[in-house]
Amino acid sequence: MSSERYSFSLTTFSPSGKLVQIEYALSAVAAGAPSVGIKASNGVVLATEKKHKSILYDEHSIFKMEPITDHIGMIYSGMGPDYRILVKRARKLAQKYYLMYNEPISTSQLVQKVAYIMQEYTQSGGVRPFGVSLLVAGWDSDRPHLFQCDPSGAYFAWKATALGRNHTNGKSFLEKRYSEELELEDAIHTAILTLKEGFEGQMTADNIEIAICNAQGFKRLTPAEVKDYLANVN
Amino acid sequence: MSIMNYNGGVVIAMKGKDCVAIATDTRLGVRSLTLTTDFPKVFQMGPTLFLGLPGLATDTMTVYQRLRFRLNMYELRENKRVRPQVFTSMVSNLLYERRFGPYFVEPVVAGLDKDGTPYIASMDLIGSYQEPEDICVAGTCSEQAYGMAEALWEKDMDADKLFEAISQSLMNACDRDAISGQGAIVHIVEKNKITTKTLKMRMD
Amino acid sequence: MQRSLNNSETLSGIIQKPQFSPYTDNGGTVIAVGGKGFVIIGCDSRLSSGYTINTRFQPKLFKLTPQTVLGSAGCWCDVLTFVRLIEARLKMYSYEHNKTMSTPATAQLVSIMLYYKRFFPYYVSNLVAGLDEEGNGVVYSYDPVGHCEQSTYCATGSSSAFIQPLLDNYVGKKNIANAEKGKLLTQEEALRVVNDAFVSATERNMYCGDSIILNIITEKGIEERVIPLRKD
Repeated sequence: MSSERYSFSLTTFSPSGKLVQIEYALSAVAAGAPSVGIKASNGVVLATEKKHKSILYDEHSIFKMEPITDHIGMIYSGMGPDYRILVKRARKLAQKYYLMYNEPISTSQLVQKVAYIMQEYTQSGGVRPFGVSLLVAGWDSDRPHLFQCDPSGAYFAWKATALGRNHTNGKSFLEKRYSEELELEDAIHTAILTLKEGFEGQMTADNIEIAICNAQGFKRLTPAEVKDYLANVN
Repeated sequence: MSIMNYNGGVVIAMKGKDCVAIATDTRLGVRSLTLTTDFPKVFQMGPTLFLGLPGLATDTMTVYQRLRFRLNMYELRENKRVRPQVFTSMVSNLLYERRFGPYFVEPVVAGLDKDGTPYIASMDLIGSYQEPEDICVAGTCSEQAYGMAEALWEKDMDADKLFEAISQSLMNACDRDAISGQGAIVHIVEKNKITTKTLKMRMD
Repeated sequence: MQRSLNNSETLSGIIQKPQFSPYTDNGGTVIAVGGKGFVIIGCDSRLSSGYTINTRFQPKLFKLTPQTVLGSAGCWCDVLTFVRLIEARLKMYSYEHNKTMSTPATAQLVSIMLYYKRFFPYYVSNLVAGLDEEGNGVVYSYDPVGHCEQSTYCATGSSSAFIQPLLDNYVGKKNIANAEKGKLLTQEEALRVVNDAFVSATERNMYCGDSIILNIITEKGIEERVIPLRKD
């Protein structure tokens, strides 16, 4: 394949004007576990699938949802280890901003700065792009925010979106279900339903993770809370 | 003699009811020699935000320029105006970056918040700041200015009373300091209105 | 080969010079405001050295004659010595001349006694308050070596920088447009100014506080008052 001639260095364009390593990174994302984000009138919900290969796995020790500041949190689709690096960098950026301005960083500023880092990894030597897309949920300026951040460094503001495996189905499902007046409780239901599209097997509190972000800040839901929501959906 | 007393000068800021005032003298000298009487040490940093930088004149100008740069970058990046509290933090950080080779200035910040709440702050030359409820004073005649301001300041003064208090504080303090005075400028910041007045005072 | 040591060097390389430091600053502030037929002299009552308060009640006013009061602050041991000597000189004067010394004469004596120690001065800030020949208030202020200035109001001591501009404004009517220059304050006005000045100085200067001691000097005699101040 001719594109392989240009894949040895990600900083080299292919004749058609593509950076193929970035496209491969997006493929890694599209193959990853699905995640969903919905912005409601009074908060944001993030939901993701967390399936394990063995029943011996301890489900509630390691989390995919990560808080960045009190009022910002993240989820990803793609490669977990790459995500950890970005979480660490994002937290450092947020703290640096707080020390400089004595004010918590706004979600859009954080997303811009994280996107800047992700872009650097598409133009530097000796590195590869991050194999993740991020969903960043935040609350500032008295309103909710939801952003997506791609391996290329491109970022988008969404009302609702889905990433990872089956994201096209998830998005079209959300397009049908989304309304501007949506409240957080309804959004959580919608998020679970979106995740359920194409979910293989039984959905339980052990194989999904949900987090919300509202005026009180970013919070992971406990398995018990997730269980209650699942009971209402079924 | 301290480098802080090389050029001379003083800045006072006061809180009033829904207003703040910041005043500066206009002398620039080299020890006892007066070079010019047109060197105010207060700069406008936003629609309702002022910064006073008494101290070593060269550092007054450098710190002002560096802060102007950082402020412009902030406002372009964030697409919003800086809050007085955030600005104070920026100034403090700029100064602390030079912890072991400081800029010899003692900044005073005065302004109104977005909702019109008065705000004043002052800090030392390495950025340790305080946000008092009444007055901020810095410069070569700070003791004199403290004595005046402490006696003249009252809670909840309106813009006219605040102007009177800050002007009298500045003028009488400067008259007991050989390297401050030779003219003064007072800014009164109210919501949607800024009044700038030049004071007529002793020029000797 | 061993290097010969300079006088100011020790083997450890630290320069150690035996130093005699005969002075200490014990703080203290004195204010005087004169008017028609009266003069008010006040001091704070705190005696301190460095960050410690030695006592919260040490009057710094000394009645030299029935119409002259000396306020003295600075190095407290010098104050005590200076006052002891001046009291002796006043006693000698009264025995020799069979009358008490007038305020202007006392003021001159203070100046001469300070200058006598021109090359090992008393480390004191003095203020003499009394009544002149017409019975009106006069104030004399000094530097440590005896330079003397007559006026109607003055602040001296550790808080002088805080208070003097305030007196210029209130009493001297400086920087006030259309003010009647040279118009003297009434006793009530003067009392209020002195009180306000001490309260302001106490707020910002740690060497000033605890209480104000006032001497109100009139033809009738000297009235003493004590007013509490912040103690922190």
